[in-house]
Amino acid sequence: MPGLALSELLGVPVLDPAGAVGGRVREVAVAPQEDTARVACLIVRTATGDCMLGRDVLAAVGGGTVRAAALTADWPPFVGGEGLLLLERDLLDQQIIDVHGRKVVRVNDVDLYPELINQHVVLRIGEVDVGARGAVRRLLQGVVPLRALRALLARIPQRAIPWEFVDLIETDPARRVKLKISHDRLAKLHPADIADILEELAPAEREAVFETLDEETAADALEEIDPKLQVSIMESLDSDRAADIMEEMNPAAAADLLGDLSEETSEDILEEMQPAEREEVSELLEFKENTAAGRMTTDYLYFASSATVEDAIQALGSYEGAPETLSALYVVDHDEKLVGSVSLASLALAREETRLSALISQPIISCPGSAGEQEVVELFDKYNLLSLPVVDEQGRLAGVISADVVISLLRSKL
Amino acid sequence: MKWLKLWKVRILLFLAVLGPGFITANVDNDAGGIYTYSLAGARFGYLLLWTIIPMTFALIVVQEMSARMGAVTGKGLSDLIREEFGLRITFFMMVALVLTNFFNVVAEFAGVATSLELFGLRPYYTVPVAALLVWLLVVKGNYKTVEKIFLVASFFYLAYIVAGILSHPKWDEALIRTVTPPTQSLFSDSAYLYLTVGIIGATIAPWMQFYLQSSIVEKGITERQYRAARIDVFVGSIFAPIVAAFIIVACAATLYVHGLHQINSAADAAQALRPLAGQYAFLLFAAGLFNASLFAASILPLSTAYTVCEGMGFESGVDKKFHEAPFFYWLYTILIVAGAGVTLWPGIPLLKVAVFSQVLNGVLLPFVLFFMLRLINKPELMGSYTNSRLDNVVAWSTAVVMILLSLALLWTL
Repeated sequence: MPGLALSELLGVPVLDPAGAVGGRVREVAVAPQEDTARVACLIVRTATGDCMLGRDVLAAVGGGTVRAAALTADWPPFVGGEGLLLLERDLLDQQIIDVHGRKVVRVNDVDLYPELINQHVVLRIGEVDVGARGAVRRLLQGVVPLRALRALLARIPQRAIPWEFVDLIETDPARRVKLKISHDRLAKLHPADIADILEELAPAEREAVFETLDEETAADALEEIDPKLQVSIMESLDSDRAADIMEEMNPAAAADLLGDLSEETSEDILEEMQPAEREEVSELLEFKENTAAGRMTTDYLYFASSATVEDAIQALGSYEGAPETLSALYVVDHDEKLVGSVSLASLALAREETRLSALISQPIISCPGSAGEQEVVELFDKYNLLSLPVVDEQGRLAGVISADVVISLLRSKL
Repeated sequence: MKWLKLWKVRILLFLAVLGPGFITANVDNDAGGIYTYSLAGARFGYLLLWTIIPMTFALIVVQEMSARMGAVTGKGLSDLIREEFGLRITFFMMVALVLTNFFNVVAEFAGVATSLELFGLRPYYTVPVAALLVWLLVVKGNYKTVEKIFLVASFFYLAYIVAGILSHPKWDEALIRTVTPPTQSLFSDSAYLYLTVGIIGATIAPWMQFYLQSSIVEKGITERQYRAARIDVFVGSIFAPIVAAFIIVACAATLYVHGLHQINSAADAAQALRPLAGQYAFLLFAAGLFNASLFAASILPLSTAYTVCEGMGFESGVDKKFHEAPFFYWLYTILIVAGAGVTLWPGIPLLKVAVFSQVLNGVLLPFVLFFMLRLINKPELMGSYTNSRLDNVVAWSTAVVMILLSLALLWTL
């Protein structure tokens, strides 16, 4: 049987076995608990109220009518759409996330494919139409003769998203559970893509999607989001969950975000955080944002001068911080004063028993915590750095600035 | 020096409040608006001043509704119309809006052409340059910084208030006309009806509602910051009609009194500023009109393109590349190029077109109000932020009055 669009099905007369019109299709419902891609029933508007037409009594669909295998009197009344996804209300004209194309799009129509199984029709959802074809069909339906419309539609290229790549957005958490809406596939995207998608949504939808992400994904995505939206998302969460996400973030990013929040919110969140992470972030919070210390992270690896390559590789294996801060390792003396940095590349090329102190890159570059942004950028440019250690007044290693931070900083000034 | 500090703080506070609401109301006094108000004063003296007070109330209510919808839903008006009323209705709304806004764009370029003509610059050069400037500004430049310049420059409107006072209008008559309802016989004059619809359409323009709601969303204002945004809307909604009233008064006290009942050129309209600026009136008028026109011309096409793309589900945004959002850029470009092109049409009556665009605004307004009212009274959308009864009464009456006026206008034509 040829496919048909949701808009071609809505409003169509439903005939009983005798051929009399019993009502008109009002909604097309899916029961995601049973099957997320199959129509569970049609909701039919009849003279005596809305009725449900289960898929086991659908005899034929298409050609401008629906035929039911049961008499009108036997159609059960429709009692609320609890647990049902209603395609017209929940999908048509609404925004969805195209997980494959990684963006937010608006649904123009839904393509359904009828199959004949055991004498009744099963409607499967093929894809959602987000292009001009669906739009033109809905605009001209009933205005232009069907044949002309078909001919016209055939000439418009289709832009559709296969159903398995469609992520619905539901703001009601209870309904989300009932409709089995999760964002597992979204969570697998790159954090920067998730951030872009979140930025495109309205606040309520954004918070709903964000809520479903696990803490680690949420933290990674949050780091990539526009700072203004970071604040509004954080303020919408309870401090417990906010603290869990903060713990997963790069301490520098977490400190920046906490600094942007209202004092009250930021204190509540700090209170809920694990002591170790809290201390790390609180220390960073003390620094002015536009200095080297304000931009540095405390996520890095450092070693005593006597450490060898083998020690370093072992430590790398158990390192949990963000990988972008790992472009170099640092060597400090017994007073924690910076001795130098060892690039990951020279580490990979050296023998295991070599001492790290022998691999230190020359010249030894570092900057004080009070250095301005301008100075930091100039150092990165002059020495082609990937990361820059920051030291306190006594020359002790305090943190590291990585290149991605500098790139973001420069881009914000472009 | 203490008082100076206090004074500075006050100004800063005031400027901090100036946001989307004030900007929207100000852009609204654009070329079409200035010419419509001027013509109203020149043609009918004080006889149209009665519109100001009811219009101010309507403007406050309608603008506040737009801002509230933006803050609560976080979505634009065209998004909401699409989600609640479907594709077909959205499509027709968008077609009507594009058409109306197109005439508004023409009016802005007419403002550019006529204002610079006062300096002896030919429209054949000025309009294409202005169009290119506007196009580049948005596509390549940073709109936000330019917005601030425009905003400061738009204090030119204060000139009308001063000119209105210096022109020694008949204050008693102006006041009486402001508070007494018009006689029925006036409405049998189609020119009077035409300008009534025009004045209201100029002050409460349909595109403003789309623009304001999007700006609120864009600025990230939510229910929590909504109170502050409200003050901004109030200030703007009061300032704009006051300026309109003084333009009418200034023109009534000068042009009307001297028997100049038709405004055929910018030079005519500039005469209204003579009490303030003497023989330099044309300079002041030209500079102000040029600023207002360019300001509106850089907002209107962009706002229209955004609105349409959001409603119809096309990619949009100046941060996108041309091939990523082709419809957005094409619509934006066509509005500017065609809008500027029409003003260069030989023999086109620019001022008439400018006033006509405002009348179109007035005719479209009730339809936009209808959708706004339906949306804002949905509890599932607005929660506890649905309209109060007073809001509903004012907004519905505005819609009904506009429909009646439009029908009467059709009847008398």
